[in-house]
Amino acid sequence: MEQIKLHNSDLTCWNCPAIDLAGKVDFRACGQSTTELAKLSDDSETYIMAECHRRPELGLFDPMGITFEECPEWRRTPYGYMLKDMRVMILGIDGYLGWTLALWLGKLGCNVNGVDNFSRRDWLKERGAHTVVPISRMTERLSTAKEILDININFRQLDILDDRERLKEFIDEVKPEAVVHYGECPSAPYSMIDVEHAIGVQKNNVLGTLGVLFSMRNIVPETSLIKLGTMGEYGTPLTGRPLFEGMFPADAVLKWDNREWSLGGELTPRDPVSFYHVSKVQDTYNIVEACKYWWLRSYDVMQGVIYGVYTDQVSADPRLRTRLDIDEWFGTVINRFVAQAVIGLPLTLYGAGEQIRGFIALEDAMQCMARLIASPPEPGQYAVVNQMSGYYSLREVAETVAKIGRSEFNLPVKIQRLENPRVESERHPFEPIYENLPKRYGFKPRVTLEQEIYRMLELLTQPEIKKRMEEKRHHIVPKTWWSGEKRLVETIEILESGSQSTMEEEKSATYRR
Amino acid sequence: MIARKDKGRTVIVGLDGVPYGVIKHLTDTGLMKNLVHIIEGGVFRQMGSSIPEISSIAWSSIITGKNPGEHGIYGFMDLTPGTYRLFFPNFFNLKSSPFWNIENNKRSIIINVPSTYPARELNGVLISGFVALNINKAVYPPELVPKLMEMDYQIDVDSNKAHKSMDFFLKDLDKTLKSRIKAYRYLWDSQEEWDTFMLVFTGTDRLFHFLWNAYENTTHKYHEIVLDHFRQIDMAIGEILDRMDDNDTLVLLSDHGFEALDVEVNINYYLKENGFLALKDGKEDNFKNIDSSTKAFALDPSRVYVNLQGKYPAGSVKPEDKGRVIEDLISLFESLQIDHRKVIKTIFRSQEIYHGPYFDQAPDLVLLSNKGLNLRANIKAKNLFDKGVFTGKHSQENAFLIVKGRENDDIVPDMPTVADIVTIKDKLNLKRS
Repeated sequence: MEQIKLHNSDLTCWNCPAIDLAGKVDFRACGQSTTELAKLSDDSETYIMAECHRRPELGLFDPMGITFEECPEWRRTPYGYMLKDMRVMILGIDGYLGWTLALWLGKLGCNVNGVDNFSRRDWLKERGAHTVVPISRMTERLSTAKEILDININFRQLDILDDRERLKEFIDEVKPEAVVHYGECPSAPYSMIDVEHAIGVQKNNVLGTLGVLFSMRNIVPETSLIKLGTMGEYGTPLTGRPLFEGMFPADAVLKWDNREWSLGGELTPRDPVSFYHVSKVQDTYNIVEACKYWWLRSYDVMQGVIYGVYTDQVSADPRLRTRLDIDEWFGTVINRFVAQAVIGLPLTLYGAGEQIRGFIALEDAMQCMARLIASPPEPGQYAVVNQMSGYYSLREVAETVAKIGRSEFNLPVKIQRLENPRVESERHPFEPIYENLPKRYGFKPRVTLEQEIYRMLELLTQPEIKKRMEEKRHHIVPKTWWSGEKRLVETIEILESGSQSTMEEEKSATYRR
Repeated sequence: MIARKDKGRTVIVGLDGVPYGVIKHLTDTGLMKNLVHIIEGGVFRQMGSSIPEISSIAWSSIITGKNPGEHGIYGFMDLTPGTYRLFFPNFFNLKSSPFWNIENNKRSIIINVPSTYPARELNGVLISGFVALNINKAVYPPELVPKLMEMDYQIDVDSNKAHKSMDFFLKDLDKTLKSRIKAYRYLWDSQEEWDTFMLVFTGTDRLFHFLWNAYENTTHKYHEIVLDHFRQIDMAIGEILDRMDDNDTLVLLSDHGFEALDVEVNINYYLKENGFLALKDGKEDNFKNIDSSTKAFALDPSRVYVNLQGKYPAGSVKPEDKGRVIEDLISLFESLQIDHRKVIKTIFRSQEIYHGPYFDQAPDLVLLSNKGLNLRANIKAKNLFDKGVFTGKHSQENAFLIVKGRENDDIVPDMPTVADIVTIKDKLNLKRS
């Protein structure tokens, strides 16, 4: 029986990180060249030749000739063909996403390697906050992963910015076939605390990533970089312009002064909404340039707001849990809402609460990452995916958390509107385009918003975790103002369940599709 | 024990793609002074190349003494058995042993012989030639790599440069030649005693592909540069001669000839036009997309294969119909004309030219063109006839062979071919012993 095609069945060695592009050969002139290797020639008789690290017996060969489906080194997984024992390096492996992905990939049979300098733990400590789901020390995490899931993780404690030489040595030792870059500070409010924090976040993120790009160029130029960006890079344009996936589509046109130009393939405008978001935009440009200059290949993953606690692996043992932050700096909105619901604080909407955001549950984000790792871009390709499974207004999300909290967990959940400490549109059109992952990489969301909120409530209502949330409840309501002020935001209004002023209903209705 | 030097050694110098006529002309005019002396006191013959006249086949025959049916190399590219997937045969695909592996008790220094990449272990030293893209895999023993890097050794000229600027290309060609000479001197001086020293200059072939017209036309801007390249090679040969002892023998040869290229002829286009070859609709023009209605297809430069059932995934010709299809193909190619002139000079059936354990991988027909017409099998070609950037093309009949010493006349056949070199070398050894 013929097997069903997977999304990456027809990709060839041209996309495979296990090959070295060795050179170009023009047999008509008995000529060879080892320059401009990855540049596809218009000349159909110039052949790019590859050599395979995994199958040296192939010698020099045409990298377009063998598909993933045909190559014995690629095996079927639920997320596409994947290289056997694929060597993946996760930068920021101790984080919320990094640790979850390490276990996810380990279960998929990847050879998992990772680095971290534990700065996320330090940042929380500095703010007096902590992860409400307790997490183990790295040594215990690693031994538990081995004990419970039979996953070996090769870990190195280092700072990708300050320990660049050691990072290079580690990359050289592992020769990763994919590098997942989660090693950045992920917080907008943290970057807005004061000048030191703004500089710290930008330095850590922008310069750290720049160093990674140089190391990859020098050691593993065929390896794909899967770099975490954010939907927040785009902002929320008031014109209602769709939020395309990084670049304008082929048929986009700029009209001015009775003239027209194609915008196809150009980066769309970015409109970051914090100094943290600016660091992500700067990363985007640095990566685009690295792909252009050095033929590196990268996915920039514009992730929607992440939420959730569940994957099969992190739920397999309390010692394998990933962190969960609920404080004003590192707590993402749904995670924060669920915590508030559990400890009896009203869910906090900023300003009108009609801001619309794309969201993705932890488990679905992991699925997307596995699919991207399995489908490396072409040499020199900078590709973007908008990684989200749906979009909602924050108010809708709050209502959903409240509804499940009340009905399933008997929690007396309230919702309140607070002054908005951020500078952002509180009512805006929002038309994200997020077709690449489902159409090109076979992504189908598995988790609904309601399901994951339910799972979160299940976990967070456990007494030990509830106690940890209670201890830090004073860190949930924001004190960090984009203006630089330092004061607790004030409540504007406590909302009754389902209530909304007629005016707000009309305004928001005009922006929804 | 008699020292190797006393017994006499063999030195082989290859000039890739240099035709008999060029050697004749450049010695007649006295430009290659050292060759004048060697020819005067030696044997100088026209030599037949491989069929087809491609460096990878010809050099594989030169070093093994075998035909493609025995050594398994039929071209620079081939199809993976049972598929339409292109692969590029390398040194590991050579099924017969090169002479240096047969005479394992003898020590060989081998520099820049095409199709010897990746380098394999031998009693001696080997630096691979074209196609050899990574120096780290091109040198045995690998400990020599740093030394070669230090002397800026370059395996081949960067042909990409010729498409940017001829001056840029020529500068690189000169640099490559000088680095090759440096490498041979180093190995000659530093290596322990050896029995065979083989050095191939490949810049000559690259030069002729792009600048055959400059060689022929004395008023051409680059005419003097082309001549100077040969002058430098002649000096290098003179230097080698000075280093050799009286008992040593020098063999000079090319792998194929060269001639002016007037027109490129795209034989897959011709097969398509005449209903023998069809590609799947809406797919890229690629061998992978050969349709099951295809009766025959060609691989570079002029190898024609019947799309046989059971041999290829979309094979459609039944074994019992193969003979008829071959006859049809012969008629088809015999009728191919340009300006009322026949394109094809000779059509070889595989059994006429190949024999051996790898005969089953042979093309069914090989075409040889008339003068100036360059046969190509580019499956993406959009025209039957093209004119590209190249001004020279390989030719089959007029490679050359020189063996120093008139006394060796009896061991060189009157009409030698590339597959005779190993025998000649053996006879030279025998004569000396």
